[in-house]
Amino acid sequence: MIDHLFFTGINILLAWSAYIVLLSGSLSFAQGAFMAIGCYIAGVLTVKFGWALEPALVVAAFGTAFIGAAIGYPALRTRGLYLILLTVGVTFVVRVGLEQFEYVGGVLGFGGMLGATVWHVGVAVVIVGAALCVLSVSPWQRVLDAIREDEAVAESLGINAAKVSVACFSAGAGVAAIAGGLYGHYMAFVRPEIFDILISIFVVLYVILGGVNNMWGAVLGAAILTLVPEYVRVLSEWRPTAYGVVIVLLLLFRPMGLLTFRIVTVRLPNSPRETASNQSA
Amino acid sequence: MLAGQIINGLVVGSMYAMVAVGFTLVLGVLDKLNFAHPEVFMFGGFVGFVVVSTGVPFWVALPAAAVVGGILGLFVEWVSFRRFTGPDGHITAALSSLAVGLILIDVTQKIWGTDPVGFSLPASISSGGIDVAGITVSYLQVIILLSTLALMAGLHFLILHTQLGRSIRAIAEAPVFASLYGINGRRVTQKTFVVSSSLAAIAGTFLSFRSGFASTEVGLVFGLKALAIMAIGGIGDMRGAVIVGLLLGVLEALAFQFGMGVLSDVAVWFAMILFLLVRPEGLFRTRTREGRA
Repeated sequence: MIDHLFFTGINILLAWSAYIVLLSGSLSFAQGAFMAIGCYIAGVLTVKFGWALEPALVVAAFGTAFIGAAIGYPALRTRGLYLILLTVGVTFVVRVGLEQFEYVGGVLGFGGMLGATVWHVGVAVVIVGAALCVLSVSPWQRVLDAIREDEAVAESLGINAAKVSVACFSAGAGVAAIAGGLYGHYMAFVRPEIFDILISIFVVLYVILGGVNNMWGAVLGAAILTLVPEYVRVLSEWRPTAYGVVIVLLLLFRPMGLLTFRIVTVRLPNSPRETASNQSA
Repeated sequence: MLAGQIINGLVVGSMYAMVAVGFTLVLGVLDKLNFAHPEVFMFGGFVGFVVVSTGVPFWVALPAAAVVGGILGLFVEWVSFRRFTGPDGHITAALSSLAVGLILIDVTQKIWGTDPVGFSLPASISSGGIDVAGITVSYLQVIILLSTLALMAGLHFLILHTQLGRSIRAIAEAPVFASLYGINGRRVTQKTFVVSSSLAAIAGTFLSFRSGFASTEVGLVFGLKALAIMAIGGIGDMRGAVIVGLLLGVLEALAFQFGMGVLSDVAVWFAMILFLLVRPEGLFRTRTREGRA
């Protein structure tokens, strides 16, 4: 039961990390890679340098966000299909790179991380959730909507779409890193092959199932796809097929996801950015 | 020894080329990524397994794989591509075909198990061979290389010199105008999927013949690499995909020869990332599709 709660929390964090990237209209298949980077940074800090878990997680989050920005800055110039390809490539490069990195155990894996509890995950979910909540009622939400709907129009209205996209990519990487760090310190032992392309794929599917329109969709998607297979035996045997069928049907008949409502965002009358996104909507 | 490795590399490279060409065909016509493609490739290996292990002559596997691949391609087009024409279409179609790919892996694993299933070709094919200038080339290698050559030549002819090829090029160039001129976009798309998926399935059969087993893992490991090859060759550029595919096969074989096998795995993806960032029009500078992507 605790296990289920823990993994639901981790998956919610991962789904949010993909959702943050999707906010600016980019689809990322690199969340598994950022999860791996976060896991290894936090693990090295606690195991090799004897740090406590919490500061290690914070450093891992910011470090991975920085790496995410470094990857995202050139990558986000290419949009659409090119970005999907790029993030797939990043996932492969990071995984094989970690396998060659003897300092953290290489192919054999890296162990000794301890101390993550379900409470840590709970706190992380609450912090990230609160931040997303604030974002979703702030004018920034409409800046992001404008970029997602039509980047050219958004830019013509004075929004620096590239900057905002990189910020989202980087923040998404940071959140994925927290999830990765917690996962590693709960499992106590990780191997690079765990952070496969399949993790990145599943994370995106969580968000798509729940709905890309608001932050609760990711929560719902992650919770359903994590918990339902645990309790329905047939489904856990056929998990990938069940995921696949659900996603295919959903995209065909309810392409916006299960939850489609919008939260009304705050209006700040004198903000130029506010008028900008209003006009484009 | 070195020459033998190069031939080996060409054999692997021809499979890369066939899968990458399929990716590029669909991308050229629809501007969408078919993520089910690597799994159709994977399934081709199991078609080979079924044909050989039921005692039917092994060459039957190739037309059989083409038919099965074509049917799968039609199915993928119907489920994952036909309806998604809006501005978000490329993301939706990518996700939907990804989901179809996951289903295909899982169903295959439920039928034949998660472990690779082994089978053996007649010994005369796999071990017998011809001596060319001191190097023994097995009949299987000859078969794979010659059929790839024939298929690629056929594809070249199809695209450049037939009515269907002209329609495909027209739709790739300007879908709306093509339909104004009376080209049935849906029919052409379906045919493109059939061609692309049959090629992938045949390549999958070749791979299983060569390695002696069919595995559900080759889709994500081997097939997805074709994605990188396609991007390096230039998106929508079939000639680029074939050349880069062959080149990569040879380079990989040489890398293994000199003990750098792991390196070659990352190198492909690394090269793809560099190419997308620095030279998104691909190795041969074909016109970029970035404006539409």
